[in-house]
Amino acid sequence: MAYDKPIPPQGQHTQPFWEGAKAGKLMLPRCTDCNRTHWYPRLICPFCHSAALEWVQASGEGRIHTYAVQHRAFGGWQQEVPYVTAFIDLAEGDRMLTVLRGVDATRPESIKIGALVRVEFEQANEDTHIPFWRVAEEQ
Amino acid sequence: MAANLSNAAAIVGAAESNVIGYPMELIGKRVTSLQHHIEAIKNVCDLTGIPVADIQGIFSAGWSGELAEHLGLRPRYLDTTMVGGCSFQIHVHHALAAIHAGIIDIALVSHGEAGWSYRGGGYGGGRGGAQVSPATEMTAAYGIFGAPSQYAHAMVRHFHRFGTTAEDFAHIAVVTRQWATLNPRAVMFDKKQSPFGGPITLQDVTEARLIAWPLTLYNCCLVTDHGGAVIVARPEIARSLRTNPVWISGAGESMGHQNMLEMEDFTATSASRSSATAYKMAGLGPADMEMAMIYDSFTITAGITAEMLGLAPRGKGYTLWKEGHAAPGGRLPINTNGGGLSFNHSGMYGMQLLVEAYRQLSGTAEDGVNGIAGKQTNARTCVVNGTGGTLSTTGTLVLTADS
Ligand SMILES: [Zn+2]
Repeated sequence: MAYDKPIPPQGQHTQPFWEGAKAGKLMLPRCTDCNRTHWYPRLICPFCHSAALEWVQASGEGRIHTYAVQHRAFGGWQQEVPYVTAFIDLAEGDRMLTVLRGVDATRPESIKIGALVRVEFEQANEDTHIPFWRVAEEQ
Repeated sequence: MAANLSNAAAIVGAAESNVIGYPMELIGKRVTSLQHHIEAIKNVCDLTGIPVADIQGIFSAGWSGELAEHLGLRPRYLDTTMVGGCSFQIHVHHALAAIHAGIIDIALVSHGEAGWSYRGGGYGGGRGGAQVSPATEMTAAYGIFGAPSQYAHAMVRHFHRFGTTAEDFAHIAVVTRQWATLNPRAVMFDKKQSPFGGPITLQDVTEARLIAWPLTLYNCCLVTDHGGAVIVARPEIARSLRTNPVWISGAGESMGHQNMLEMEDFTATSASRSSATAYKMAGLGPADMEMAMIYDSFTITAGITAEMLGLAPRGKGYTLWKEGHAAPGGRLPINTNGGGLSFNHSGMYGMQLLVEAYRQLSGTAEDGVNGIAGKQTNARTCVVNGTGGTLSTTGTLVLTADS
């Protein structure tokens, strides 16, 4: 079935992210001056204001910072309600929004803040693979 | 007499983005307006030796929130006046006034506009296409649309951090509705006004239809029509009019983020900073406030903001409503018009807060608005806090009655 949810338009300076996503890699921008990783991708380091940024492959692991269950949605997401959105604390630092997989949206209390999650990608079209995060087993 | 602003500030540097005009070499590179802004800012800071981090006020034609967040700044003065090509002269004027007033020392006025790249021969080149901010690019896929879908995340984090519950926040909706039943202008005044009007119970709130768990319908503000206006004048004029003045004793503003993705602490807003500025200016503190008008787009907004304004300890904002302090007859009336939850919320609710605060402190609530009387309190001081965006930006006023 064709991907029926919103497909984000891509910017210029974010190309390494989308290229990485195609290869199943989570790429994050990092400042070569202060070494901090940030998200979303900037044109300038939001911490030290250096313009010397590089892209590095991330571990693809993170933890749930907070979440909510969407009972009202539009477009392709309408068929999915209720579904769980979450903010993920990335292992490398900073935070990413996602739709959480491997959780029961009808029992929101069963979802645990701090739970380990791993990234996975779904192909939306030829150029776009979208990252989603799935609750993982703790080692 | 107007203050003399002459020489109260100077322009100390000017720069441009790296490639301007027709950036032929960048065709297909999708140069964005944001990129022009950021490059020019970096360049003017390099030129003057002023670190980006030292910028205290941001002035731009519609971009100020986006720029502040992109730069990781928490400005004390935001002006995003957009009135066409003369906006930038006006920004300089506003910056001069802000500096003269002692609010800020360093102001940035910024412009970025990929006019060619997105229209004529550049990336546009017939393809057009909207410029998208990188934050939008990285969040658009996930079906987050509208305020409740985002605010719900803050409430869940509050549950986690402070052990609060959906019922705790439901008290805010119940008490705010009590105020609405005393205000015939309120949409939810009674059953005649709306089939959903009149008093509501905790159960009504917690068992209402889910919009975005844990936010049920009654945790969310109304969507209504509204028009409002206030006039601000200098003291000599204020004292000469037949209306009662309400004094702007303190004012402050700040922002935490533009996109919720950048919200550092989901249980806190910049109202802690904007109110600190306002209280300090007024020489008053939270304990001196006899009522509060708090933007209540959602119950969670009001609960968190009460904490940020220092009216309740961290994690305990909701207790003001739960214990009846915020209710009619309580020691600290809050949202005496019935709030955005039950009075009126048109999308941007800040003017409704101002009208009610003025009516209360001028002692004219019972004179009515358009002939419809409201409920008068005895309050002589009021803290008014507006919250914009997704718990993003805040403006706080400390208002006092005329003595
Ligand atoms: Zn850096």
